[in-house]
Amino acid sequence: MKSLGQIFSGGARQFGMVFALLALVLAFQVWTGGKVLTSTNMQNIINGNSYVLILAIGMVLVIIAGHIDLSVGSVAAVTGIIVALAIRDWGFPWWAGILLGLGVGAVIGAWQGFLVAYVGIPGFITTLAGMMLFRGANQAIGQSNTIPVPDEIQYLGAGYLPEWGPGTGLNNSTLLLGVVAIAALVWRESRRRASERRLGAEPVPMWAVVTRVAILSLVIVGLTYVFGSGRVGTSFPVAGVILLVLALVYAFVSNRTITGRHVYAVGGNRAAAALSGVNIKRTNFFVMLNMSVLASLAGIVFIGRSTASGPFDGTNWELDAIAAVFIGGAAVSGGVGTVVGSIIGGLVMAVLNNGLQLMGVGSDSTQMIKGLVLLAAVAFDVYNKTQGRPSIIGLLLQNRRRQTLLEGGTADPAVPDAPAPEPATRS
Amino acid sequence: MRRGSVLVPEGVQEETVVPMTTDGLGAWSRTPVLSLRQVTRRYRRVEALDAVDLDVHAREVVALVGDNGAGKSTLARVVAGVEQPDAGFVEMDGAPVTISSPGAAHALGIATVFQDPALCDNLSVVANLFLGRELRVRPGGPLDEERMVREARQILDDLTTGITSVHRTVNELSNGQRQAITIARAMITRPRVVVLDEPTAALSVVQTAEVLQLVTRLREMGLGVVLISHDLADVLAVADRVEVLRHGRNNGSFDAASSSQEEIVAAITGAPGARGRAFR
Repeated sequence: MKSLGQIFSGGARQFGMVFALLALVLAFQVWTGGKVLTSTNMQNIINGNSYVLILAIGMVLVIIAGHIDLSVGSVAAVTGIIVALAIRDWGFPWWAGILLGLGVGAVIGAWQGFLVAYVGIPGFITTLAGMMLFRGANQAIGQSNTIPVPDEIQYLGAGYLPEWGPGTGLNNSTLLLGVVAIAALVWRESRRRASERRLGAEPVPMWAVVTRVAILSLVIVGLTYVFGSGRVGTSFPVAGVILLVLALVYAFVSNRTITGRHVYAVGGNRAAAALSGVNIKRTNFFVMLNMSVLASLAGIVFIGRSTASGPFDGTNWELDAIAAVFIGGAAVSGGVGTVVGSIIGGLVMAVLNNGLQLMGVGSDSTQMIKGLVLLAAVAFDVYNKTQGRPSIIGLLLQNRRRQTLLEGGTADPAVPDAPAPEPATRS
Repeated sequence: MRRGSVLVPEGVQEETVVPMTTDGLGAWSRTPVLSLRQVTRRYRRVEALDAVDLDVHAREVVALVGDNGAGKSTLARVVAGVEQPDAGFVEMDGAPVTISSPGAAHALGIATVFQDPALCDNLSVVANLFLGRELRVRPGGPLDEERMVREARQILDDLTTGITSVHRTVNELSNGQRQAITIARAMITRPRVVVLDEPTAALSVVQTAEVLQLVTRLREMGLGVVLISHDLADVLAVADRVEVLRHGRNNGSFDAASSSQEEIVAAITGAPGARGRAFR
């Protein structure tokens, strides 16, 4: 038990969650008789959900700061129609269309951020209004028509990395991506160990670290193979690459920058944050602005995948994104949540959708199951919170706490109720 | 009682001006690190502070006691730069200063810990300690987590808080430990004077003892401490000197070692004839 705990302990906070998602994928793999882990299906999962996952990245910051954004689907839709029209009718080259789209997102985000942060209208109301406003704007601008987009945009939403170089039997771009991912994993782990050693903490045993890196590397190797070995011309999707880059950037922003730290502080205790000199208004403005920019990016990726912008794009996306964030362990009251957790939460929903569909379960039952999964995940969080135990994600992310117990020698005796349940990943 | 000045009135007994510290120097022979001179603060027609004087020396705990509405918290807010005096002035090391904002107070080396522990429950100990003053690897760069952890441990060790892990989130800590964190937070800027406004108000007996231990620790570290409190037992346990406020005015100054609780209570309540010994 202890040794297993040591493998999961330390830096790779998200390890446990990756593990849970993996278990779900493998379960569906068995139940569907091997239809899940095929190249085509995995590529479809990424392509068909990348826009929701992009939204989830922005949404988790909004929710951590204690707000909500209901307008993301409409913002994506209005961006989509503007980009499509700009390229088809207004003479914009495709790249200028993308920049215009991101600019539209920034303007909308600045508007909503201004209302939330400086005027003080609650995010729920501001963005509920925005949801109607920008849905209407989409239909007004496009006159409820469907406008096609050029190949370059389609490449963003549904394209694959190019093939090059020697014949390795796999797509070489995907192969390279896998190699880089493993190298980054090893680099991160060694850096973390070095930092722990400098701080004088008792480092996790080497064998545990090696085992952890080996398991994660194996997962990456497996994914590289699945994505790279599809029919010729396919690979890891471009939309997936965009998502990966965003995930890395935003994980960094939320964990390692002052801006990210302040987003958590504002959501945790606004008054205390203000007394400490955190600029509450700027932080709120940032999360709302950021959300709309990401929503516009999601809109562009989506019109690429669906080859056109239509009047009903983005319907209910806000709900998918919010569900992903809460399954990913965020708290409704704010202050809690992680970027990677939200992406994994979104992937859990995506895999559920996909697996149930492959099993031939109707969309009626699928929706009910998804609803129950969301409810169960959040109920588990709430239950554990009232019991003074960490949330489901906290449970999976136990390693951090365990690491501190290790370095501190003993738990603080003055805190008799220090939560120390056996994490699920250990058993 | 105006040590080093001409305001010591007739009849003040010698024991009220004996040296307060054990380093052989009389406290009164040194320049106070923080002094309030005739500070007055009015709210509409009420004078919350009426020509209040207060001296705080390095390595000294001055307790500020008084009934509700005596002006204790107003004084804390003036020193913290949250409010400006309407008359009178504040000196540091004998030189007049203007504390125009909380930031100015920090810059002058005055840290104030207010009554409610204002912490973000969802953040770790180290994140709370450095909230709003995060250290970065380089200007505009990412957070320097390592340096913050190291400095946080240093400060918590200096204060002997018994908090072993700076990575724990604050909601896992006891109230006493949370109060210790707020005091440690004040130490981040390396102040010379710390004002503690009712630090033990909401704490259990054991936790109160822990916080009082911290207060003596601050003195050992060479800081001047202003301890605002209701609880005379606490005050007499750790303070070198007790200053009484009543209706916004100075109403007696007592040497903590040689004064009884009854004398101080009398000064707080304004019982007639009770002010003799320390009356100025």
